[in-house]
Formats: sequence, C-alpha cells, structure tokens
Amino acid sequence: MHNYDPAVDDWYEELMNAHRGLSDTQSQRFDAALVLLLSNQVGELPKLRNCLDAARAVVLVPEKR
Amino acid sequence: MSVSFQNGRYTLPEYPFRAPPELAGAQPPHPVVIVGAGLAGLTAACALAQLGVPTVVLDEDNTVGARGVSSRGVSYARKSLEIFDRLGIYRRILGKGVRWSIGRTYDGDEQVVEFDLAADSSASRQPPFINLQQFYVESFLIERATELGNVDLRWRSKVIGCESAAQGMKLWIDTPAGVYTLFADWVVDCSGARGVLAETLGIRRRGTFANDRWCIADVIFDRPLPAERCTWVAANFNDGRAAWRHALADEVWRLDYQLDPQANPVEASSEAAILGRLRSQFGSDLHCRIVWTGAWSYRSECLERFRMGRVLFAGDCAHTMSPFGGRGGNSGIQDADNLAWKLAWVIQGKADASLLDTYADERRAAALENIRIAERSGRFLRPASPAEQAYRDATLALARQHAFARALVNTGRMSLPNAYSGSRLNVGRGGGRSIPNLPLTLPDGREGDVAQLMKWARGDLVAVVAEESAGLTSLEARFPVRIVAGARLGEARAALAAACDCQEGDLLLLRPDHYCAGTFERGDVAALELALRTLTCTTTTPLSTTGTRNS
Repeated sequence: MHNYDPAVDDWYEELMNAHRGLSDTQSQRFDAALVLLLSNQVGELPKLRNCLDAARAVVLVPEKR
Repeated sequence: MSVSFQNGRYTLPEYPFRAPPELAGAQPPHPVVIVGAGLAGLTAACALAQLGVPTVVLDEDNTVGARGVSSRGVSYARKSLEIFDRLGIYRRILGKGVRWSIGRTYDGDEQVVEFDLAADSSASRQPPFINLQQFYVESFLIERATELGNVDLRWRSKVIGCESAAQGMKLWIDTPAGVYTLFADWVVDCSGARGVLAETLGIRRRGTFANDRWCIADVIFDRPLPAERCTWVAANFNDGRAAWRHALADEVWRLDYQLDPQANPVEASSEAAILGRLRSQFGSDLHCRIVWTGAWSYRSECLERFRMGRVLFAGDCAHTMSPFGGRGGNSGIQDADNLAWKLAWVIQGKADASLLDTYADERRAAALENIRIAERSGRFLRPASPAEQAYRDATLALARQHAFARALVNTGRMSLPNAYSGSRLNVGRGGGRSIPNLPLTLPDGREGDVAQLMKWARGDLVAVVAEESAGLTSLEARFPVRIVAGARLGEARAALAAACDCQEGDLLLLRPDHYCAGTFERGDVAALELALRTLTCTTTTPLSTTGTRNS
C-alpha cells in the first residue's frame, strides 16, 4: 500500500511539465485555455461557482468587518 | 418630404416650425406630450394615435436623425418589425432595407464563428433582422403619424422647464417664435441620451463609461459584397483591433473600426486614415466613396426610475448601452409599444394609473438585462486586464476546434424580445412571453396574423377561449377584452398555444403588445375575471364602466 495516490502525483507532474518552455504570457494563456476546457468538462454552473469561490478564498485575504 | 440620396450624399427632410395655439394665448388640454421625435417618441405617437389617443410631439430639431450625424440605429429586430407591422410601416421598411440573417466572426483572416438567425424557423411574418438607416425609419414613422392624424408634431420646440401642475405637468417650450407654456396630463420623455428632464426631476442615473473608442465609415464600394454581418475580433487590417461590416440601404456599407484608445480620435477617424484601413482590407485597387465618417464611444447607464408620477421615460433617455447586438434602438421601440396601450387604458378609464408602474417595472428590468448582455460583448471586444486578454485569446484559439468555445466568442448577442418573467401582470402559465407574429385567421374571417388580431382588438386584450359562452362574453362589457373562440383562428391555434407554453384548448390571454399575459387550463369566467382585474389594476370593478353588465 502507498501512503499516497500515484495518479494524483502523475497529474500534478504533467500539469507542471505542461508549462515548461512557455513564456509568462503563454503560461497565462495556457491556463486560461485549460480552465475553459475543464469548465466545459464539468459543465454544471453550481459546481463551477463553488470552484470559483474556493479559488478566490485562497487568493484573497478575508475582509475584516 | 422624404430622405433623398444623390451623388453619395444624403439630404434629410426639413420640417417647418408652425406657431402653436399656445403662442397665441390659447391653452388647449393635451392628454399626452411626447418629448423627442426619435424612434421611441415616434413609435409612441403612432401607437397612441392608433389607439385613439392624441399626442403632441416636441422636437428641438427640424429633421430626422441627429443633425450632422449619420444613422445611429442600423439593425431592426423581429420584435420591432412586428410592432412596425401593426403600426403600418413594415412594408416600407422591408422595401427599403436589407434583410440579413447570416453572421460571421473572424480572428485575423480566419473565420471562427458562423450563425444563421433564420435557422430558428420562427413562424413569425417578420424576418430576424432588417438593416436600415435610422433616419429612413423615422421618416416613415413621421409620414405614418401624419396619415393617422391626431399627432401634433412641433419642430424646433425645445423643453426648457418642467414642473408638476394640478392634474399633470407644466412644460416651458422654447421656439423660434418665443417661449410658451403647455399643460399635459402625461409626459412621455423620449429625449434621447442627452435628455435632461430626468435630472431636472431629480432622478438618478447610474452607469459606467467604457474606455472603448470606435470610428464609423459609411462607404459605397465598387464591388458587390454579401449582405451578412461580419465582425472581426482582431482584424489584420485594423492593427489587430476589432472591426465591423454591415449592409445598409442604398448599397451603403457600415464599417466600424475599433480605435487605439491612446490614439487621437480626430486623426484616427480622418478620411485618410479610413482610406488606409479600407485599402488594407479590400486591396490597394479599391475605389469607393465615403458617405459619412465619425468617431464614437459608449456608456452604460440606466435611470433609477422609469416613471415619476405623470412623467414616463422611454428609449435612450432611460437607458443607454453599447451598440453590440443592436439593443439600443430596438429597446426604445419596445419601450414605446409597452407603454402605449397602458397609457391609452389609463387615459380612457379602462385601468387604474398604477398600471403605468408595470411599464416601469417591465421595461426597466428589460433595460438592465439588455445592458448586462451588451456589456459582456463590450468586455469581450475590449478586455479590461491581462487576465481577460488571456481568456479571450484562449477562447479564440480553442474556437477553431471546439464548438463549446465558439459559443463563448461574443461580438454582440443579437436583440431578442425580453421576457417579462417577474411582471405582476403575469396571470398564468406562459405570462410575460413575447408572441411571434404568427399567421392566423382573424375573427372577421380575413387572413391575418397576431399583429392584425391585436389591431382588430383596438388596444384591448384578446382572450382566446375553447368555446364562447354568455358568461365569458359578458366580461367584454366590463373589461378591455375581446373574447374569441380558438376555432375562429384556424390552423394557427396549435402554434399560438405552443408560443404561450400551453395546450391547445387552454384559455390564453394576449396583450396588445403581442405578449402573453397568461394561460389557464380551465378557463372559466371567474378565473378570467380575476386575471382581468389584475391586468387593469382594479381590485373591484374597472373605473369607467362601473358594473354595467350584459345580462
């Protein structure tokens, strides 16, 4: 038994490798294309909105009230 | 008097100023004064005239279109054409304009999207779009208003003041023969994007300016081109910025070029700069005649209220938006048509004045929807940040192979009738849906269509029932409604039921603006009466015909 999932590591590696040799602009465009393709695969707005919220949550410092 | 076009130049008709009775000291009563003889104002005047309501129309200019400015609206959508059919100018628009349904979008030289609006196989009598210079449409409306009578067109008459008076509004009008005051029971402000009446009355306008400049060139070419809507997200002949090509009447082509926001707009829209772009687009051997050029930008704005007491706001003075999708002029025409029957009902005592709040609610919701949709196109055409630019570039690159990405390419979502989904006038299933102008047999046996059916009903609702009964017919004496047995409409019954989202044989209630008010599976007298009370905003009995019954 592994204490990790090799498939997950495979995917993360492939994702990192996919950016190799790309300029910053190309990387940004690649990510945009990937997000659009994956969004199309997910296909459900509520799920996609949850992902948007989760991504924003790790990027933005919560506002103090 | 009409628009003339000779040697590549338009001459617009000039309408004379005539001194009104007010300048001679008279103070005749005016049920409705319309401010502004543009698309919205003239549509309102014709619609009200057809419903028997006289109007005064004030315009500060003395011609069609804006002086010195070429056509603003160029694309008339099916819903507007259906309204124009009822008002009696559709044949002229069809005869003069250019029908089109195919659109193409390019990235560089490569086509990435193609659509055909005719593929929706609508059974409407009107096509998806006709392109025509706005001054033609306005001149047809003016001729029609004159023909209908009851429209007092007052040129070179500028509203310079406005205040509430007993039972209406008092307006100060500046004319070449002096200033006069005029009293109106109702004022319909259609004074356009530069109108100031709303601010004068303290209504706030909210919105944003877009940092996006464009330049129009109306051109006659030495070669034929297909009557299609062509858009370039990034055109090689325009330094990688967007461009437009649309067919207009008189074999004039509307070309529109997105400018570098840093560029000097005067230089960038000079004839030399435009010729340079044209030659780079069509080849250096191009011979063409430039009819008109001009730079423009846009803003998205909406009034916080479309009604303030006895003043109603319609068209560009109530809402402005980017032109992508042709939602500006079309929504003004549709504002006017929504308002006309409601105002006529209130004036004729068929409904309570609170019916006019439903105009404000329905059309403000429509305006916000149109603004939102038009803003999305504006944002696609001018990405606001490197991230937006990256997504757009990715979308265009994916669009070459993936259908889902082609759906994201947005150079304008063409104007469609807004559904009034949240309206309090919706009384049943299907309420708030626009009904296409389906062909049908009229109750008097003539062949016609939905527009003619509503014209036949003279501004009343039409209740299509499974079977006529004395009880149902008795409602005609108490409410503005005409009862028609479905069988009298012929084969079209099924299509009409489908358009209203109900079963054939259900009772369906149609509004004068070709919208469905609602449908009922079991349309009995009690259900219809309740619906009619909702539509007339009367909780007990309607105002004018207090309880008189056909026994």
